Amino acid sequence: MPLPSAARLEATGCITALGDAVATHAALLRGEIALRLHPVLGAEGGEPVPLALAPGRGLDETAPPNWLAAVSALVAPLAGAGWGTARRPVFVTSSNFGVGSLHAFRSRNEPAHLAYGTPHNCVEWLVREVGWGPNVTTLSHACVSAHLGLLLATRALEAGLAERALVFSFDFISPFVTGGFHALKILNAGFPAPYSDRATGSIGLGDGAAFAVLSRGEGKRVGDFTVGAQSLHNEMHHFTANRADGAGFTACLAPLREAAAGRRLWLKGHGTGTLDAGRLESAALTAAFPEAPLVGWKGSLGHTLGSCGLVELALACQSIRTGRAPGTIGGVAPMFGPCVALDSFSTAGTDAVICASNAFGGAHAAFLLAHA
Amino acid sequence: MLERYVHACSLTEASTEEPAATRERYKERFPRGATRRMTQLGLLIGGTLDELAPRADDAIVYASAYAESRALEGYLDSFPTASPTLFQTSIHPSAVQQTLIARQHPIQEFFPLTGRAHLAVQAMQVAFLSPAPRVLLCGGEERGTWLLEQRAASERTFAFALALSAEPAGALARVTLTPADDATSSVELTLPQFFDALRARQSLERVGAPGVCLGFSWL
Repeated sequence: MPLPSAARLEATGCITALGDAVATHAALLRGEIALRLHPVLGAEGGEPVPLALAPGRGLDETAPPNWLAAVSALVAPLAGAGWGTARRPVFVTSSNFGVGSLHAFRSRNEPAHLAYGTPHNCVEWLVREVGWGPNVTTLSHACVSAHLGLLLATRALEAGLAERALVFSFDFISPFVTGGFHALKILNAGFPAPYSDRATGSIGLGDGAAFAVLSRGEGKRVGDFTVGAQSLHNEMHHFTANRADGAGFTACLAPLREAAAGRRLWLKGHGTGTLDAGRLESAALTAAFPEAPLVGWKGSLGHTLGSCGLVELALACQSIRTGRAPGTIGGVAPMFGPCVALDSFSTAGTDAVICASNAFGGAHAAFLLAHA
Repeated sequence: MLERYVHACSLTEASTEEPAATRERYKERFPRGATRRMTQLGLLIGGTLDELAPRADDAIVYASAYAESRALEGYLDSFPTASPTLFQTSIHPSAVQQTLIARQHPIQEFFPLTGRAHLAVQAMQVAFLSPAPRVLLCGGEERGTWLLEQRAASERTFAFALALSAEPAGALARVTLTPADDATSSVELTLPQFFDALRARQSLERVGAPGVCLGFSWL
């Protein structure tokens, strides 16, 4: 399938446990780890696991959800731009929406939580709160959700269905999701060490929300980056494992090799801290883009789930703007290959970054972020 | 105006059938042992997709407001000893993934959507925007139990799948999407309403999502 044209990235922003994009990037450069040990089921207790919660937020659900203030602050600069009208669509993505509210309802029998439990109830409430119009398309494909929003926004622009498009993604963790990953045994007492060759894999989970404003880049030039060469692949091999030969990673990256030819790259990988996926991902990225340094930031921020693609896009932009990319925080030698960068590095010698994410079902997504 | 043609249409409704009965009904249609782990919605979506014979270069667009309600109920009831199987099965795109994993059928593009009032037209728009030569647009719901009592699950169990392409020859229906302005109010076209229209072979002409007028004409 042909790749869509590049869309101009007019603006981007994110929030994580370390603050906004500027604060998060600065903290990552200092090597700060946002993850802290919390009981896996919040007030109900359980094994302490590494979680990175947004400032002032508890893991247990509240009604209304206690993440609204953080989201409202994030999107406040977007107010008054006509988002959600006919030619300015919004693409909302998430893997969790407000599903933690259903756990709160079931475990505490508090009906107030039901108002946020289904994806559409949650999104309709959020859209009202932040003042967007009704032209909102909602996607959920686990941890590549945000990438789908970017691709659809790009296609809507390319087809002339939009003059500008807003992609917004949010995932705030709750006992619903921490309990699930803990049951899968990949969320455990260990801290994540992305791309590290060790005996036991571990992930951390983190709060994250982000936005990207895309346009066709015609006329007045706004924004200093483009998002291009967006690629997807779905292995459909196993729910929670990749094909052992790494073919899924390779298939997703193949279109980007041509698009990135001649560029001096760095790589922002998925890098959750699981062993098999980390080994396969780093091998595929290194094979496709030899010599390009590879970093992953989930060892500090935790995995921000369906929003990770957009959160990490905002941080990649900040890295390019400031000329310095954070290293693979939490990683411990030996690594899966020599290209994994543990320390921060200058982006001065590069002119683009490939950002990749993966998800349940062997879903893969990647794009090329470059200066406009 | 954007235009596509429907070349195949598969519909199924399980009404109030229990998942075990659906599983028994579908067990010969999937690889041995697969149906034991599949949800009711996964079985129905899989059945409708099978009739369209998915190809490697198809894109799949999937629409569901509530998706895996029974797995979600089971997962929530498994606390404090959360079930890993029900957790992974309860994710939104699970129905299509169950089917294609059972078939070991990789695809390049898969767009799972959710929503309510405008979901059918939004899913159609996503299908139209795909550059794939053929797009399989599928969707459905499964009837919940205690979540339904709280109006947080579907009251019907159904699934559909359409094969869309730009080729008019031999088509069953013509579909158009025309931009509409903000002055034209959109009206609801939920997934059950769209399913009912497909089943009745009813043509549609309505601004079924903000900024988009859907035309659906049976040929």
